Amino acid sequence: MTDANLFTPSQSGAAARRLMHALFAAEPRFAALGLLLAFSMIPTTLALMLDPRLFQAEAIWLKPLKFQLSLTVYLLSLAYFARFLPTAFLARRSYRAFSIVVVLCVLAEMVWIGGAAMFGTASHYNTTHPLMAQIYGLMGFFAVILTSASLVFAIVIWRDPRGLSDRALHLSVVLGLGLTFVLTVIVAGYMASQTGRLVGVPVTGARVPLMGWSREVGDLRLPHFLATHAMHVLPLAGLLAARSLSAGMALRSVWLVSAGFVLVTGAVFVMAILGLPVFPV
Amino acid sequence: MTADSLFQLANPLAMAGWLCLAVSPLAPRWADRIGGFAIPVLLSVLYAAVILGFWWQGEGGFDSLGNVMLLLSGPWMALAGWVHFLAFDLFIGGWIARQARSEGIAHLLVLPCLLLTFLFGPVGLLLFLAIGATRRMLHPQRIGI
Repeated sequence: MTDANLFTPSQSGAAARRLMHALFAAEPRFAALGLLLAFSMIPTTLALMLDPRLFQAEAIWLKPLKFQLSLTVYLLSLAYFARFLPTAFLARRSYRAFSIVVVLCVLAEMVWIGGAAMFGTASHYNTTHPLMAQIYGLMGFFAVILTSASLVFAIVIWRDPRGLSDRALHLSVVLGLGLTFVLTVIVAGYMASQTGRLVGVPVTGARVPLMGWSREVGDLRLPHFLATHAMHVLPLAGLLAARSLSAGMALRSVWLVSAGFVLVTGAVFVMAILGLPVFPV
Repeated sequence: MTADSLFQLANPLAMAGWLCLAVSPLAPRWADRIGGFAIPVLLSVLYAAVILGFWWQGEGGFDSLGNVMLLLSGPWMALAGWVHFLAFDLFIGGWIARQARSEGIAHLLVLPCLLLTFLFGPVGLLLFLAIGATRRMLHPQRIGI
């Protein structure tokens, strides 16, 4: 199988099962937790439909559901990228310990966010009680640890490119995973240092459909979203480049797209800091 | 959706599961999949969602009978308790049907066990366990639990 074929989306159920088996073979812990979180979205979705409580003008179970979805995507993506890591590295005791710590951090975040929703209180930015404020700080630390898995993957794949023979694809995977960590820590770290995710006070509550970003004031969740999806956008761009361009052009395109991605994320971040909506009404 | 409307939904769902188990000799695998697995899972998901959404407002606790009665006094927690019965009773019913098949117990003997499990949960389980134990005493060469 060539590198390019690995990215072909699966069509049938059998292909989905094969993909799941491959994820479990490469990184069983991330794959298992990802699958578990995907299953856990079923009762949360039903709770979202049944529970009439609102928190900050949003259905109370929407936030846990979003975190379940995004952590599922994150873990299954890491399990996918794990196939490009040397098997000797994956088998190391230190790596296995690290991956267990990441799993525990993800679980802690979900229990914290789900538990806060259950009791109708805030998870992030909760300073109502000294204990909740301390937990919030601890969860920020856990979030950095779980995000650092993408950095670890980026460094190991960069140093041992044998898993990805195409240079442009290799570069895009390394940059994507690495930027997910760097950009997310910058944006989310800034967001956590503020008093809330919004910069400004919305009046009408106009938002982007589905994503929920404010269309009136700055919303720091938008740059966070872009930053964290570097690990998807850049490898996809790298795949396209590797398939359609000459080797040298493909490599240059990956650098160009990566630079553009950082610029766009940075611009959106600055807009949010200044209190400007990216999609104004 | 109200607790009442979900109650009206959960009851026929459980009933359908019991019907599947009652006629399980006709299509054992599908009876297992639907009555013994899919419907208990659906009911469990419903239970989980109700607990996620409404457990926080429940009064009382688990430490005294009075507190347990208080806990189940609101419509949502009463619904949760009822769905818990439905889900677990049906799952036990599914286990009885599977176990009876693997031990070769006649379905005519299983039917009263299922009926009692449906109505009075643990009583049906006791009857089935008693039937199993009696059979093993009558036929000591058979291996089973």
